[in-house]
Amino acid sequence: METILFLSPTEAGSPLSKNALEALATTKQLADSLGTTFSVGLWGDSPKEEADGIASCGAAKFLAVTGPEFAQPRYATDAAAAEALAHAAGATIVIGPSGSRWNRILAGVAHRLGGRADGHVTGLSVSDGSPAIARWYYRQRMEGILSRTQRPWVLAVESGIAPAWQGSSGSAAVEAIACATPAVRSKMTGIESPEADQQTIRPDADLLFVTGAGWTKKQPDGQVKTADAEKLILGFLRLARASLGSSKSLVDLSGEGQATLTFLTHMNQVGQTGSTPRHAKGLSTCCHGEEPHTVGWRFVGERRAISLDPNCGWSRGKADVLYVADAFAVMGKVNELLAQKAVA
Amino acid sequence: MRVRVVCTRRKTKPMPEYQIVVCGSVVPDPLQTLEPVAGPAGPALKNEMMLPAWLDPWAGHALYEAANLAAKNPGSKVWLVALGPKAKLQQAMMTLAQKVPFELVALDGSASGFTDAAETAAALAEAIQAIPGIDRSKLLLFGGWESASRGAGATMQIVGEILGITDQFQGVDGVGIGVDGSLRIIERIEGGRHQVSICEAPPVLLGWATGGLPEPRNNPQVGMANMRTIMPALQKAKPAKIGAEGVTFQSVSLPKQSRDTKVVKDMSPDQIATEIVGWITNK
Amino acid sequence: MDADVVCVGFGPASGGFLTTLSRAILNEDGSTAIESPSAPGLPLQVLCYERADDLGFGVSGVVTRARGLRESFPDLDPAQIPMAANVAGEKFLYLLDPIGASCRPALMRVADGAIRAMGGILGVKDDAMELPWTPDFLAKHGGLVLSIGQFNQWVGQRVMGAGTVQIWPASPVGEVLVENDGVVGIRLVDQGVTKDGKSTDEFMPGMDIHAALTVVADGPVGPIGRQLDKTFGIPEGHHTRDWAIGMKFVVDLPEACELEPGTVIHTLGYPEPEIFGFFYVHPNRVASLGIFVPSWFDSPARNAYRYLQHWMLHPAIWRHVKGGRLRSWGAKTLQESGRRGEPRLAGNGFARIGEGSGSTNVLTNSGVDEAWTTGVMLAEGVLELLKNKQPFTAENLEAAYVSRRRKSWVDKDGRIAERARDGFQRGIIPGLIGMMTTGLTKGFLALPGKSVPPHRRVPTFEEYYRGRITPEEIQAIRKESDAKGISSHAALMERAGWPAIPFDGELLVSHQDALLLGGKVQAPAGYADHVEFVYPRDCESCGSKICIEMCSGQAIFPGENGRPSFDREKCIYCGACLWNCSKGNPKDSEKGLIEFHAGAGGLHSAEN
Repeated sequence: METILFLSPTEAGSPLSKNALEALATTKQLADSLGTTFSVGLWGDSPKEEADGIASCGAAKFLAVTGPEFAQPRYATDAAAAEALAHAAGATIVIGPSGSRWNRILAGVAHRLGGRADGHVTGLSVSDGSPAIARWYYRQRMEGILSRTQRPWVLAVESGIAPAWQGSSGSAAVEAIACATPAVRSKMTGIESPEADQQTIRPDADLLFVTGAGWTKKQPDGQVKTADAEKLILGFLRLARASLGSSKSLVDLSGEGQATLTFLTHMNQVGQTGSTPRHAKGLSTCCHGEEPHTVGWRFVGERRAISLDPNCGWSRGKADVLYVADAFAVMGKVNELLAQKAVA
Repeated sequence: MRVRVVCTRRKTKPMPEYQIVVCGSVVPDPLQTLEPVAGPAGPALKNEMMLPAWLDPWAGHALYEAANLAAKNPGSKVWLVALGPKAKLQQAMMTLAQKVPFELVALDGSASGFTDAAETAAALAEAIQAIPGIDRSKLLLFGGWESASRGAGATMQIVGEILGITDQFQGVDGVGIGVDGSLRIIERIEGGRHQVSICEAPPVLLGWATGGLPEPRNNPQVGMANMRTIMPALQKAKPAKIGAEGVTFQSVSLPKQSRDTKVVKDMSPDQIATEIVGWITNK
Repeated sequence: MDADVVCVGFGPASGGFLTTLSRAILNEDGSTAIESPSAPGLPLQVLCYERADDLGFGVSGVVTRARGLRESFPDLDPAQIPMAANVAGEKFLYLLDPIGASCRPALMRVADGAIRAMGGILGVKDDAMELPWTPDFLAKHGGLVLSIGQFNQWVGQRVMGAGTVQIWPASPVGEVLVENDGVVGIRLVDQGVTKDGKSTDEFMPGMDIHAALTVVADGPVGPIGRQLDKTFGIPEGHHTRDWAIGMKFVVDLPEACELEPGTVIHTLGYPEPEIFGFFYVHPNRVASLGIFVPSWFDSPARNAYRYLQHWMLHPAIWRHVKGGRLRSWGAKTLQESGRRGEPRLAGNGFARIGEGSGSTNVLTNSGVDEAWTTGVMLAEGVLELLKNKQPFTAENLEAAYVSRRRKSWVDKDGRIAERARDGFQRGIIPGLIGMMTTGLTKGFLALPGKSVPPHRRVPTFEEYYRGRITPEEIQAIRKESDAKGISSHAALMERAGWPAIPFDGELLVSHQDALLLGGKVQAPAGYADHVEFVYPRDCESCGSKICIEMCSGQAIFPGENGRPSFDREKCIYCGACLWNCSKGNPKDSEKGLIEFHAGAGGLHSAEN
């Protein structure tokens, strides 16, 4: 019989994130499928508040490591807290929400517990009374479903497996778990954000807007129209409140001194060494739809593309609709219509 | 009365000399078609030995950042500890060796994405501990934050744990050295932002995202110099048996091409725009 | 940078050379057998520079008798080399024209009619007639079907695994260094330049490597070979006027396909009589299939890719591949002058091997084994000279290498083949008769025919399409294509009766989509354009611009003011532009107006 633990760091003054609540729901689902209970482990400056927020989740136990030294995202202290909680719970399966803070430590924590870790889990199932996970290999090109004999099995689950847990808050009976403060040689000193109007990455946006190298190439009239491209793209992002993604080739062009889009960085890259963002809709423009890029669209729901090439990768099963057209013309009109709607 | 004036020259801290150990292996060229097949020892890639092999892209970024840091801090040295099939390592080396100076520690074993990170990490850690003259007080352990094969983001963490390094950073895009020798590190976090941290001193582990450097050009002179250590290292690559003990794969499959793409050729840009706006604004 | 031996290019010829040489450098116990004259105390320093991004990128599937290969690898088991298979069965198909757009001479039409009439007796099936036997000179029994990409990779791995030779990919050689009537080494191509060769902040001049011996193995269109020809001259009466482009697909055959690995099919007759086809079956239901479009196929619109698709759609071919999937694509130029195209094989400090040294046999249509063997012979000669501590002078290399080569089967067979293709200068039927005659008489008899440089024989569009498309229509089509920035061949062929290609995204894809298969064509940054239009003003007035029609990657396209433009990102280094220029160079009547230099990138796949 497995002993299941939901683990999450907490941030002072904020309730548990949507990702964390989804992971909680996933944990609950797993426990139900296995016919067993689960515990909750939280750590941070004042995890009691977050525990209270999920008091009615049905956890058999609430465990917490509390202290100001556990407030900031930091490997040494986070790993120590997580280890202490997992140890105290006697957990055989540990589930945390995929995110920078948990992803930083989960394999190290698993090692300390003598177990194994699997990150980027996109599915959790039970077969023959045994849990199995789904995760993607080779940059989202193929999906594997696997189970392990080693315990504890420490997991980081991606959003999208189960809807976020919802329920009433209350007063959770939190058991304090002691955790010796490890020797600390690092500390977080701040967050760097791009300027508000330069912010082109919006993880919660409904729509991912992807720009390909075609925006900066010679157009049918023989001209390169980078300034127009910038205006159209930034305009659309603002009007549609979309998140900006890019193909690798467009991002790389700036490294070669070519006319390029000034607001694009490696952070915008989707696919290949870039991200695999989650959005309900995605619109690709001036991009050929080759596999190394489109693998980054794994978690984008509805997909449409605008390209001058009717035989590009998007036409072959990668998009729902391919509009064979000039993106400059189409996006110009799109922005016009969106602006009208905004005023109306 | 004679006054003795004593001048004390403030001791400037000597420039740090780092030992930068980069872990990274080979992955199949991402421009190729990849398909899974069921092998006798578990899942594998179809025609894996035929696929050209390159250094994992994030490990590559880690290596270039390492070389950059070493160049700025004379007396520093860079090692690449690579575990992969010997023939594939050799193939990748002929291109990689031309990029930046490094010394190779090669291990001959599977670099398949379906192997277990813990087994790989154990072999890497053992090889690192065996590097003569390794000094923890100078050690910077670099690698990619995840690989383009397994994509687990686990290997480096486990190597760090085995080596007792608890100052670990992932998704790193930059590191700066302060006058006091401390390291200022930025890591990617949610929403396109970076977290800034300061670590007092080595040993420290950095799992790199893309960093900020462009890929170095092929430099034949660098290649020739590197070959002096790379060739012998490949010749004496220790075998490492890497598998996925305890793991059972129920299936590994390609996603079904479920979209029946509608190709629209005969609409005007204005008509298309109207349709797109309708689609976007429709919840 | 100093070395003892430096090689330009890594293909079958260098493979043979380095395999033989590397085995002799160390003793079995690892001690040095041949000491380096340039670095005493160290073993012989041997370097090879290859321009493609990796070893084995960018060349083509092949069938070979593998005589030389088997000598070098006596225990050769095809199972060791991916995609290799022993030849299992061979057949020769004469393809009839199912569409009626093919441009066939009258005699051929009569023959076609007769064949169709006697179809039942002759066993005509799927619009094709199988020849009752494969002429001995073409037969490949006992041979191997190979992917050259995989073979080269396999050879490279073994050569480097021995630890004595370094083979550097992504390292194009720009020129050899010439001093005092001899070659003293090589210079790599400059990096960090703009597309027209101007330095940028990241300029890195190409490294010089000095070596006592430079081995030039850069293939039929290699710029270093041409530099040597220009500097040291070519033997009297020799020329390289005859060429072909070999273009092929690698296909995953459908499940229902019953062809055995090692099956070899040769075709002739369709889509045009001059175009020969090939179909080689690898293990695991993979096939390399394609066509050769020769320089004596006198159409200014001889676009290989389009013809390849029509060929694949021929019922006799399509029946095997329908339902399959296109996996990869590539093309290369073949040197079809054979021994007549042999340059100076050796000089002070240099020697030439491989296809660029005229080793291809134009009667048996084979080149890989021959190239390999020339490499082996050079290595044997070099080892002799090293052992006797003799310098690599023209005289010594003549004695040690060239005379060896003259006594070998490569040269003997090459002499038999020398005139085999002369008949094609006059037409397809004289050509076939000539080839058969030469083959059956072992070179004693041949049908005469004089080669002229390609630009002197290719007609204008108006001439070629006379009687089928009016000059006015041709002008209109050319104008429209120019405006769209594309070549005219598709519109012209369709106007001449060829049907549109029914793209299915599986086997039949657009030309540009083919460039994306099997590992996209790549062009690393920082290099100058390697295709140069030497007198662009002359191009403005060129009526045919066959360079645009023939470019394998559509990298050459209509530009401004009637000048062709070049897009390096699409170039696959096939070298077709070198011999597809309809104007002659005023400074050298053998050449056209396009120069083809060294560069990095191109096809990015070892499946070819």
